[in-house]
Amino acid sequence: MTHAAHHPATKPFRKRFADAAEPYLYSAPALILIVAVMLVPLVLGISYAFRDIQLLNPFSGRFIGLDHFRALGQDQAFFRALRNTLWWTGASVFLQFVFGLILALLLDKPFAGRGLAQALCFLPWAVPSFLAGLNWAWLFNPVIGPLPHWMYAFGILDAPNNILSDPQLAMWGPIIANVWWGIPFFAITLLAALQAIPRDLYEAASIDGAGPVQRFISITLPFLAPTIAITILLRTVWISNFADLIVVMTNGGPADRTQIVASYIFTQAFKRLDFGYASAIALVLLVLLLVYSLLIVLLRQTLLNKD
Amino acid sequence: MASIDIEGIRKSFGAFPVLHGVDLAIRDGEFVVLVGPSGCGKSTLLRMIAGLEEVTAGDIRIDGKRVNDLAPKDRDIAMVFQSYALYPHMSVADNMSYSLRLRRSTKEKIASAVSGAAAKLGLDPLLERRPRALSGGQRQRVAMGRAIVRQPKAFLFDEPLSNLDARLREQMRAEIKKLHGDLRATSIYVTHDQIEAMTLADRIVAMHGGVVQQVGTPLDLYDRPANLFVAGFIGSPGMNFFEGRYLVSGDHADLKLENDVTLPARRVGGIESGEPATLGIRPEHVVITEGGALEGRVDLIEPTGFGIIMHVTVHDVPLKVFTLNRAMLNPGATVRLDLPRDKLHLFDGEGRRLG
Repeated sequence: MTHAAHHPATKPFRKRFADAAEPYLYSAPALILIVAVMLVPLVLGISYAFRDIQLLNPFSGRFIGLDHFRALGQDQAFFRALRNTLWWTGASVFLQFVFGLILALLLDKPFAGRGLAQALCFLPWAVPSFLAGLNWAWLFNPVIGPLPHWMYAFGILDAPNNILSDPQLAMWGPIIANVWWGIPFFAITLLAALQAIPRDLYEAASIDGAGPVQRFISITLPFLAPTIAITILLRTVWISNFADLIVVMTNGGPADRTQIVASYIFTQAFKRLDFGYASAIALVLLVLLLVYSLLIVLLRQTLLNKD
Repeated sequence: MASIDIEGIRKSFGAFPVLHGVDLAIRDGEFVVLVGPSGCGKSTLLRMIAGLEEVTAGDIRIDGKRVNDLAPKDRDIAMVFQSYALYPHMSVADNMSYSLRLRRSTKEKIASAVSGAAAKLGLDPLLERRPRALSGGQRQRVAMGRAIVRQPKAFLFDEPLSNLDARLREQMRAEIKKLHGDLRATSIYVTHDQIEAMTLADRIVAMHGGVVQQVGTPLDLYDRPANLFVAGFIGSPGMNFFEGRYLVSGDHADLKLENDVTLPARRVGGIESGEPATLGIRPEHVVITEGGALEGRVDLIEPTGFGIIMHVTVHDVPLKVFTLNRAMLNPGATVRLDLPRDKLHLFDGEGRRLG
């Protein structure tokens, strides 16, 4: 060993090459996989946004620069989809969070049959999203589903109609289905965070004079805050990209009233078969979500640094 | 400040009873220590006084007022937890002022209460820190500070020193005693450490198996333990016991061991000749002397620095002897021992004290 260390230049070339290449060779399988599976499609997809690619037009495929983005700037359907996306994401995340938190708080208290109740509450998460969408579409259908009749009986609707075909109400259909489907995510993560809070803090607070509401505000919420921040960030990105339920339940209709950006991309790509334009929209959505995530991460950093 | 009266308190978790009818009257300003091995129900009793556990049967009165059905916050007591239970997201000052802020005290009152408590406990330089930036001893002080800012009717301590190292425990023990001397607040202190119990208490309540075994001053429990449990629990190293039959002959009495050896005992009432009995003597009361009546085989020597704990065997019965005589570091194979009659404790077949 000491001999070799004194004369590094005398090592044969193959040995030196092997030494230098060793770390790269070890990481090569993972790197090749990432490049092939993630980077290549990503770069290809981005390149489509700057090319004229229409599946049914054999003469398309040339580079057109920013033409798609200019068209997008004039596309009223896109801006409506953008507004719908905000509405869809905001309402879904907010309601999922509120009901998920309530469910988590209920499941945190010991009661008889809690194990069974927990299992049942987490069941929707296991239902495939297309199945959930179909199921809710049927529930809202006055011919076979009970919901329109119940809502009519409660006076919420003027007549037992399908809200999915009412332009004013249609968005509520997929939102309700999405809330039902997504509550378990918040319930599971928040329940885990709740159960990590030391019980004696609650006891100390109750002796200090705090009632249930004050204990929730001064102990539960501060402990849950990091979990809440990260789950809301995740769910926001997730739901704004999540077109399954809308495609299944309303297909963007009636009259594009439930079209969100993700379902608009789906429509452009697989109905109109205009892959170039669909890629351009996807790129805009990607940039918007990146900016949003960056803002949340910055916010979290400043909050943590303030500590 | 207030008196606390406990009458016929019982507690069961489901069908499992943990407290079998506890009666205790704590005077205003008194420092009472509940002591016993783990699982004896002492913490449960404390938590019932605090309102953290429901009362199965019996009454708890604070200052003459029945509090069984009052929420913890309405009992006007303060508690120091073993884990300290400090609010990790609040500064030391906020931890201490939390109870006052909940009661909507004025800013001036809060500031003066916090600075008063901080000065008493030496917390001034730490007021802006978070609990996680404090050492164990400092956290303990903050927990104490949080209890004293409010001037409650009573302080409850649930093994507050168990998480500290030995040196710090000694120091905090003295501080708690000093603090109680200053505040004269009614205090109930739970511990399994008999040294803490002996040093801090005005009165000790020794508990075992959910039953109060003896209530008395520390020296009462040391000098006249009411039963075998208290005799064995109080004192370190623990008391030596010999089991046998009590035999009266004339005006003196003996204890006959199973191997037919007789040990001198005292003549006491409440027991007939021939009945089973247990003889106890503390290690520090066994006398090593040339002319001793007993011969002990030396098994082990434990020097503690202050004194020496000798493990010897007398007539096949193990016996611990505590001596300050340094010559006993090299005692030879056997020693002669005496058990002075006036230092003997006698217990009947049920373990109750005789005489």
